[in-house]
Amino acid sequence: MTQFLIRRIFWAIFLFFVATIITYLIFWVIPADPAKLAAGRGATMQDVARVRHFLHLDEPIWEQYGRFVWNLIRHGSLGRSFVNRQSVDYTIGQDAPVTASLVFGAAVFWLSLSIPIGILSALRPRSVLDRVSMTFVLIGISAHPVWIGLILSYFVGYRLHLTPISGYCNFFPGTAGAQCEGPVQWAYHMILPWITFMVLFTALYVRLVRANVMETMSEDYVRTARAKGASQSRVMVQHVLRNSMLPVVTILGMDLGLALGGAIFTEGIFNLPGLGHEIINAYNNDDLPVITGVIVFSTICVITFNLIVDIAYGFLDPRIRPS
Amino acid sequence: MRRKQLLSLFMLVVGVALLVAAMAVGGASSATKKPGSAEALKGGTLKLNENSEDFDYVDPGLAYRTDDWSMLYTVNLMLVNFPEKAGAAGSQLYPEAATSFPTVSKDGKTYTFHLRPGLKFSNGQPVTAAAYQRAWERNLSPKMGSPLGVNDQFQNVIVGADAFLNGKAQHISGISAKGLTLTFHLTKPNPTFVSYLSMQWFGAIPPSTPYTTHGLNTFASAGPYYIASRTPGRSTVLKRNPYYKGSRPANPDEIVFTPNVDVDQSLLQVKSGQSDLDIGGIPPTAAATLGTPNAAGSQFKVGPTSCINYMAMNTAKAPFNNVSLRKAVNWAIDRPAQLRLLGKYAGKRSDQILVPGIPGYKPFNIYAISGADVAKAKSVGGSAIASAPSVNVIHTNTASSTNRAQVVEFNLKQAGFKVTDNPVPGTTYYQNIQTKGTSYDLAMNGGWCADYFDPFDYINVLFDGRTIQQTNNVDWSFFNNAKFDKDMDAAASKSGAARAAAYGKLDQELMADYAPVVPYFISNDRFYVSKRVKNWIYSSYFGEPYYNALSVG
Repeated sequence: MTQFLIRRIFWAIFLFFVATIITYLIFWVIPADPAKLAAGRGATMQDVARVRHFLHLDEPIWEQYGRFVWNLIRHGSLGRSFVNRQSVDYTIGQDAPVTASLVFGAAVFWLSLSIPIGILSALRPRSVLDRVSMTFVLIGISAHPVWIGLILSYFVGYRLHLTPISGYCNFFPGTAGAQCEGPVQWAYHMILPWITFMVLFTALYVRLVRANVMETMSEDYVRTARAKGASQSRVMVQHVLRNSMLPVVTILGMDLGLALGGAIFTEGIFNLPGLGHEIINAYNNDDLPVITGVIVFSTICVITFNLIVDIAYGFLDPRIRPS
Repeated sequence: MRRKQLLSLFMLVVGVALLVAAMAVGGASSATKKPGSAEALKGGTLKLNENSEDFDYVDPGLAYRTDDWSMLYTVNLMLVNFPEKAGAAGSQLYPEAATSFPTVSKDGKTYTFHLRPGLKFSNGQPVTAAAYQRAWERNLSPKMGSPLGVNDQFQNVIVGADAFLNGKAQHISGISAKGLTLTFHLTKPNPTFVSYLSMQWFGAIPPSTPYTTHGLNTFASAGPYYIASRTPGRSTVLKRNPYYKGSRPANPDEIVFTPNVDVDQSLLQVKSGQSDLDIGGIPPTAAATLGTPNAAGSQFKVGPTSCINYMAMNTAKAPFNNVSLRKAVNWAIDRPAQLRLLGKYAGKRSDQILVPGIPGYKPFNIYAISGADVAKAKSVGGSAIASAPSVNVIHTNTASSTNRAQVVEFNLKQAGFKVTDNPVPGTTYYQNIQTKGTSYDLAMNGGWCADYFDPFDYINVLFDGRTIQQTNNVDWSFFNNAKFDKDMDAAASKSGAARAAAYGKLDQELMADYAPVVPYFISNDRFYVSKRVKNWIYSSYFGEPYYNALSVG
């Protein structure tokens, strides 16, 4: 296990360098100049040069990258935004809980819905429930989150006044300047984002669970268990579900990791100040430090969740235990 | 195995419970959020959205954008300021912290202000002349890394400012602050100087305010409000300055800005009373559905900005080094069609650079203001149109810009020009058109808004050929005419009515004789306010209402 962990950590470091180097290279290649943006209209060449020096953009790309890595390792700092000069660490620290609220909250809902529906559909294929759930799957996969979000906020938020149209409240009270806070207000503001975000994933997971359960039910060891007289519930829980959930765990790990990098559409529609919102703003303003910061965070999330999945896999399936 | 079943059950219960609890709370909350009907002038929280953006800085030493400045106006105490009045009255400077306009020495190089006694910052500290000295020094200090004052060459305006900027002096020697007396020593006479002081960089700031390259998010201020808290990307909260005793309104108890809101969602929030106003305006497509603007009781508000929108023609190369062809284009462009594409009430057609409210503005119509005049364009351009090289029309590749470019290209073809369409991403557009030797011929997306209400900020800043540099030009037409430069210098040296008259003539001379650009409209800002918003006073300078005057009490 130790060897396995060490190997994974080395892979994680390697992936981190690959992701950040690619980000820097892309930024170097695209014809944009943040120094001119920051210098403002009418800036003279000297002014632009002054700003470029201030932002260290007059250094070669490898030196800029070296500075970024050094600051990260030595000072744990992701640098400062080119646009508003705020600390990127602070920005990500502010944004990450918002995105996590969205992703984990929605994950609770999509798993709560997709696992029972997927199992029931698999147990009664071509039944009314199965056909209804497969119709939902089709709609869920086809409908874009932006459309779902806009429709929900218009009808549920604006016409029916059941939820806020958009906005975010902190879970923990005590934030300076917060207009609303606390768990209840937080959940109240997150209802529509959760629903919007979960529709696609629920659809995907229903199909995934259904297919896996159906496949597992036709396995020899399930037939053997039934032949040995095991009860239906024992067969389902012990033999079918345990084995059919393995791919779900894998996909869930990857989805959570990726989604934490920024749920761009949902955050945009509902004005959630999360990482997706942040990276879009940063992209629009050529704000390399923020873009890199979000990518670093996203990379760490993907790597971490994959690591967790790998470890969980070993526990769920003794055949592939790393040792 | 049982643990797993329990976990699934637990997740289901938690999910349903959260949903039910939140829905129940929702009913209660929405009931409390219904807009009030009371019309008391003071009190309440004014809730403002800003679609798609946040203030980049709120530190007056670093802030520059119009959204930054419209907010800072609410917290700043200026030496001279614009009053909270609509229309032309709102562009007339008055002495705010100063007892009167400055006394100016005979040589025109020394300006002396006397401050009103008893003025205080939001922390109770008295406002003295040193507060304004600090504002200038924060704007030009190398420790702030602010490019802004430097862009306007303020280091060359005041004696000793250049040495200060270059780190060779602790203070700007040309600014003397003694008690309530503030004296500026200028390097040369400058009739625009008092107008400069109305810019939000130069509001009073406590003399102990630190220099910081990162900018402050909160600081003590001496205007009607102060910034009580700010979380970038989340919210900015202004509260009434308890020590403010001036005459400016301070109606809401609190003003809360929520940034980065989706523009469509924001309009829904305002309509439902969850927010009071989006300072970024409304979706252009919604303008036609919101009723008659500015009518009594109407929540739909439209006001003119100080922004002139124009297409720039590259006068440094063929075909538009030929003035007849530039004039032909001015006749060929269908200005009403351009406006229609921007939605209802988007602005007012124009064919001149100055805008209403700027001293010297006198409306005139030299070119086809009510639609393309193809025959006139052909007769003005003559045979040069057919022999001209293809016009390289550059525009950003957004849907709106592309639509408008298509109309322009149709207009040019109608007049006989050959056209090449050149869509580019917004990130590279300005680099393209601001670089000397650029290959573009006609740039679609151009415009200018007032930094300060003086014609110099339009005519000299945009058309002085001596300022053309290798990149980052604002003279996008690369217009460089020695006679016009001389005329501009002469106008800039005048003051008062003579100055206004001189600039009025220059505005006309520019378009009638040289036509380096195609001005086509003065843009409006369009807003929708919640039912509880009263006392709407709109500022053309900021393109926003005066937030401190709005009433939600």
